[in-house]
Amino acid sequence: MSNLKRFKRSAPIMQLSLKSTPLATIAVLMVFCYLSNQLVAQNGLREIPDTAHDAQLKAFAPMPGASINLFAHEPAVANPVHMNWDRRGRLWVVSSRLYPQIKPGQTETDKIVILEDCDGDGVAEKQTVFADNLHIPTAVLPIDGGAYVANSVEVLFLRDTDGDDIADTREVVLSGFGTEDTHHLLHTFRMGPTGMVWMNQSIYIHSHLETPYGIRRLLGGGMWHFRKDTQRAEVFMKGLINPWGHAFDDWGQSFMTDGAGGEGINFVFPRSVFATSPGASRILHGLNPGQPKHCGLEILSGRHLPDSLQGVFAAPDFRGSRINLFRLTDSGSGYISTQIQDLVASKHRAFRPVDIKMGPDGAIYIADWYNPIIQHGEVDFRDPRRDHENGRIWRLTFDRRKLVEKPDLPSMSDEALVEALNAPEGWTRHLATAELRMRKPEAMQAALAAATPPDGADVELFELRRAWANLATNQVDSKQLQSLLASKNHKARAGALRVIYYETERFPEAFEIASKAVTDPHPHVRLWAVSVLAQLNHAKTVHAALKALEGVDAKDEFLDFAVWSICREHAQRWESAAKAGNPFDSLDQLLFAVRAVNRPIGLATIMAALKQKKLSSDAQIQTVTDLISKVGSAAELNEIFEYALLPGTPVSHQRKILSALVSAGRLRKLKPQGDRSRIQRFLDSSDPNLFATAAVLAGQWGVPESQELLEQAFLNYESDPARANAALNGLVAQAGKPAGQFFDRIMNDGNAPYSLRTLATVGRVRITPAFGAKQAIRVLKDAPSSDAAKSVYAAILANKIARNSLIKSLQDQQLPSPIALAGIQLASNSAVRSNELIAALRAAGQIKPMKAALTKTEMESMMQRIAKQGDPHRGESIYRRAELRCVACHAIGGVGGAVGPDLVSIGSSAPVDYLIDSMLQPSVKIKEGYHTTIISTFDGELIAGAVAREDANEIVIRDAEARERRISKDDIDEREIGKISLMPTGLTEKLREDEFVDLIRFLSELGKEGEFKTQNNRFIRSWQFLQPHDRIRDEIGHYGDVIFAEDDPTYEWTEVFTKVSGDLPFSESPNLVGRGRNRHGAARTFIETSKAGNVRLKIRGKLKDLSLILNSTELPLPKGGDATEVTLKLERAGRHKLTLAGLKQWGLDGVSVELLDDASVVTVAK
Amino acid sequence: MLLLLSPTLIGGAANAQAVLQSDDRIAIVGSTFVERARLYGHLETNLQLAAGPDVTNLQFRNLGWSGDTVFGDARSYFGPPREGRNRLDKVISELRPTVLVLCYGTAPAISDRQAWTGEPTAKLMTDSGLDATQKSFAQGYQSLVDRAIKAAGGSIRQLVFIAPPPFESLGPPLPSQSSNNRRLAAIRDTIRQLAEKNKGHFVDLFHTLGGDDFRDEPPEKPLTHNGIHHTEAGYQIIANELAKGLGLKRSASIELDSKPVDELRDLVIEKNRLYFNRWRPSNETYLFLFRAHEQGNNAAEIPQFDPLIAEQEKKIEVARQRIFESQPNQ
Repeated sequence: MSNLKRFKRSAPIMQLSLKSTPLATIAVLMVFCYLSNQLVAQNGLREIPDTAHDAQLKAFAPMPGASINLFAHEPAVANPVHMNWDRRGRLWVVSSRLYPQIKPGQTETDKIVILEDCDGDGVAEKQTVFADNLHIPTAVLPIDGGAYVANSVEVLFLRDTDGDDIADTREVVLSGFGTEDTHHLLHTFRMGPTGMVWMNQSIYIHSHLETPYGIRRLLGGGMWHFRKDTQRAEVFMKGLINPWGHAFDDWGQSFMTDGAGGEGINFVFPRSVFATSPGASRILHGLNPGQPKHCGLEILSGRHLPDSLQGVFAAPDFRGSRINLFRLTDSGSGYISTQIQDLVASKHRAFRPVDIKMGPDGAIYIADWYNPIIQHGEVDFRDPRRDHENGRIWRLTFDRRKLVEKPDLPSMSDEALVEALNAPEGWTRHLATAELRMRKPEAMQAALAAATPPDGADVELFELRRAWANLATNQVDSKQLQSLLASKNHKARAGALRVIYYETERFPEAFEIASKAVTDPHPHVRLWAVSVLAQLNHAKTVHAALKALEGVDAKDEFLDFAVWSICREHAQRWESAAKAGNPFDSLDQLLFAVRAVNRPIGLATIMAALKQKKLSSDAQIQTVTDLISKVGSAAELNEIFEYALLPGTPVSHQRKILSALVSAGRLRKLKPQGDRSRIQRFLDSSDPNLFATAAVLAGQWGVPESQELLEQAFLNYESDPARANAALNGLVAQAGKPAGQFFDRIMNDGNAPYSLRTLATVGRVRITPAFGAKQAIRVLKDAPSSDAAKSVYAAILANKIARNSLIKSLQDQQLPSPIALAGIQLASNSAVRSNELIAALRAAGQIKPMKAALTKTEMESMMQRIAKQGDPHRGESIYRRAELRCVACHAIGGVGGAVGPDLVSIGSSAPVDYLIDSMLQPSVKIKEGYHTTIISTFDGELIAGAVAREDANEIVIRDAEARERRISKDDIDEREIGKISLMPTGLTEKLREDEFVDLIRFLSELGKEGEFKTQNNRFIRSWQFLQPHDRIRDEIGHYGDVIFAEDDPTYEWTEVFTKVSGDLPFSESPNLVGRGRNRHGAARTFIETSKAGNVRLKIRGKLKDLSLILNSTELPLPKGGDATEVTLKLERAGRHKLTLAGLKQWGLDGVSVELLDDASVVTVAK
Repeated sequence: MLLLLSPTLIGGAANAQAVLQSDDRIAIVGSTFVERARLYGHLETNLQLAAGPDVTNLQFRNLGWSGDTVFGDARSYFGPPREGRNRLDKVISELRPTVLVLCYGTAPAISDRQAWTGEPTAKLMTDSGLDATQKSFAQGYQSLVDRAIKAAGGSIRQLVFIAPPPFESLGPPLPSQSSNNRRLAAIRDTIRQLAEKNKGHFVDLFHTLGGDDFRDEPPEKPLTHNGIHHTEAGYQIIANELAKGLGLKRSASIELDSKPVDELRDLVIEKNRLYFNRWRPSNETYLFLFRAHEQGNNAAEIPQFDPLIAEQEKKIEVARQRIFESQPNQ
């Protein structure tokens, strides 16, 4: 053992003298350093919050009835990252001063501290440094007689063998975890109900583990579990960006939170895959899209807490300096999550709650990382504003409720310990499991076998806990699990399956059990049955799993995913049988399985069924056509083509088939066998969709007879631009000489309408990019306005060859300034920005370069102006301007576009200088998960955006306008992670300086305690405004406001979101001109209910001028006042239209509508 | 099987001179077994002492990476294993080692009917039986050697191939390692053939540590804590076998469990720690990869480890010479 102790050596290379230097001296030195060096940082320093404990205490706003006290603080605890309790009721905290990066010469001195409240006064008076020789440790779990510690690349097990609470042995338990980013390191350790260690890693981490059972790799984010007894380490789920929270509910189901994903609570199960998992062709989503990002997760329980908090999920929002609460209800195989009030919020900007755990006394403990700066991607590693000294553990109690007596688990008899497994406090149950693992397994097993449920206990839950405890002693009791599988409560049945899932090798009957459970009445149980099947080495696992889909809601995404996943993972077990016929029970099952693997298997069976019209629903046709377009042969393409040509085939089927044929041609260069000229039939179609796809097919297939029809439609541009554009696509697809000559003739014809000339130019550029771009200059010179030139520029920008040709051809050319400027603007906003093209256009248009970055002095004065003069309210209206496109790309609290990061708490997480920089130069700092992927094809085409999904054959890119584009991997020349943000530059050029100041001020307030923090009230935030319409002036007097609720097909509605406050700003709505001076505004939204019944709304605003219409019935509102409650009596489940209208001229701003009922009853439809 | 009895030296040319010579830069490449060795320092300390007082200034560079394969799986970051091979080439070209020590084979041995690499050209072969896996392992290994020799630009004087130590069946609830050991024995044969082909030195740790006995019961003094990964005490024993396998013999009077040797080992461990932060720094995404435009300025700190490592190596040399000088008969 003595050799092992050497790890505690202090390794004095360049010993830092921090310990002996008074803190004040260091602070003065630091201030001095950047007074002289860094003006920008100095600015930020002024914002550094007061580090006094009182300052933080005063800034807390806990929920009513709760109080907060300081449990522990610096210097014992500095920047706490993670914490867990031991069975003696002591809190183990891991903290890192080295974060984010060790400096050459620094020793590894990061710590684990044990905090102990010996006298029960809620303050940790005893602090012991258990270890002080760690390298950016990110998790600690004190069980099994020592502590598991995440130490960058390794999981260590540290143990104290001589009773002084100082680690003296150090063993590497697992190694091979990546360190590509130190806030992504292995983290979030938690012991599960069966005594395993659960561990998470984040997006950039790539881990490679040798285990006694084989190599295990996890590339990207995900979660591991590890059983010490068997030394088995396995991946449980994959994906999520920063999965910094994981908790088990009462029934042992796993839920995770994400520090960057923003979908609130995530329900995870074996083999589930979430956002950003590399190579994922399908992902699942969290239960609360658009939520703030979270670090940590705990499920509240115990007698100290009020009833309203029992079973509630608590997730710290470290950016918004608050702790969010969620309540979950069952829904299908998964759950619905509703956000409720916050547990606590703080105005103190350095309060960074990163972990939350229930304590032994029934109170809630919160780890406060304490830092004004978070993250280390955007803000420099060595930024002096980083706090490396402070850290706090807060304790939240309820004033009028008794604390729980701290259980003394180590002194309990085995029998008493088994009773503790059923305590009302999750803490006690959890640590009793840790304690029983320290006892003799045989004695514990005997005590477990003899236990009876306490009076009034849920017997099924008691049995499930007994099964967990058995497994925690490394025993499985097959008979007991069999009886659990017969429980009334579906959660108990699912729980039993989960125990089997971990240990399938010890259950010879696992296949029989799972294949029975796939038809369980409850989809949640089916999900676990499929998960068990996925573990098994049995030939019929997929046959069994497919039965799980029968009779359940087709929209049950979790179950659908699980079955899809096993069809792929166990493909070898059914594919050869499917070559000979349908090995499954039904055609739908075969279709599902084949679709999942996406390979040409069983197509003969499927084609025969299509011919015999056994596949007739739109959904079936969609599946078949999609499948054939991806994997079918020329013969099969012909078969679906012929089906489209059959008399009586519905238009909806024809549309699907033609677009499948287009995809096959584009992505796989595959055409149907047989006579392709039959496509002309669809060129006569009056259905615009059919014409458009047929035009492209006629081009792709080179059907010469179609040329004339396409040219006619093209020339008819003025009367039917959509059809002309479709014809353009067809002619481009032909890519032949006749089409090229046709385009040349029009683009060079000075007498042709200019719109037609640009359309022809676009065609020319698309067929022959280099030649087309060169010819385009002449057309650009003739442009009557800058807008008219845009489509030509867009076509050139989308192709590398065209772009380079334009750069070259512009050398000795001049363009009118406005025309060149239009090109510069488009080029600057393109994700694949070319500085060379911008320079060439500048030269050609004689335009001076624009200023983008600020000098340090300018930044200084800008930050002062923002603080002194910035008006966040004016800023919000500027943010909402359509031309700035903020709302189109960014959401605030889930409301708005999804292209860029949600800004819900940007003000509380990002310093002002960062906001200014990001606005002026978006590409300097790019949020993780928002890097652009740039694909260039062999044809020179450039496609930039986020990778939506990909499989072996193709990749789907979502661009800045949220359009998806499929690209065949065979066509890809280069694929790179772009260094340019999708956010366009030059947006701010449209602003005056005072407007810029207001806008930044608004952003800097987002998420801070105050008016610009998104409230948890369920405001309806998505609406549509009615655009001006002729009939209103004439008919409003006759029919009244109900005309706004009519389904008039000529009405035009545009999307609008409420302000951060939840207010729908009628001042922004278009004026609907009524009689005389009356100016109306009308907005509508849709709500969806899962059942008939009453839905209560709270309406705030100037009621006098407002009317409310449900579907087509006006509901009476009070004639005055500014708030009222309304009950909607919904006679059926489904979608309902809600219209709000009112007179604007006397002020109608600030109308809000809030749902007062549970989310499971009603949701806002899109 | 006769070869098993004389497991150490293969390749006549290599026999003529000592494996380790003064001023050698020794790069050790492998997976978990190699990576974890840096934490304990036993392998290196033992070799430092076994090389004897006349051989001076040995520089060891531990390039082990947990979970790695001959295809470079673990060394790649965001891309395919090819990236890992490129990374190894780059490190080798910078180090220009004179001795290249290689220890691979664990991954295929523990992967019964499981693919053990993500390398597209080999993945399918690796989960379809031992013959195919051996073949793909041999191809990957040879290519690794060829690339390393090329990357080093002629600096490599000596190749050393180590067959990994045997696995241990520690008894339930841990799994039996019996069949994995059978696989490892076959892999060992492949490694020996590679050593012969490349005129390298072959060290059969599998054999010398009793692998060929194929015991399936728990050993009295296990060298591993989970059947496949070694304890600190295990490394100490293995270190002796490694030195012997290299034809080196430590003076009998040097007591390993002594304060001066402990001090030497401390220096070695600290040097390894510094070098680890040098060649595998945290935050590579920001320092060197696609977010370098944000934090790449901090990459300037990384070479600042070099003088610290050099300083540490001087101390190591002083410490080992002190040990030699204190020996009665040296």
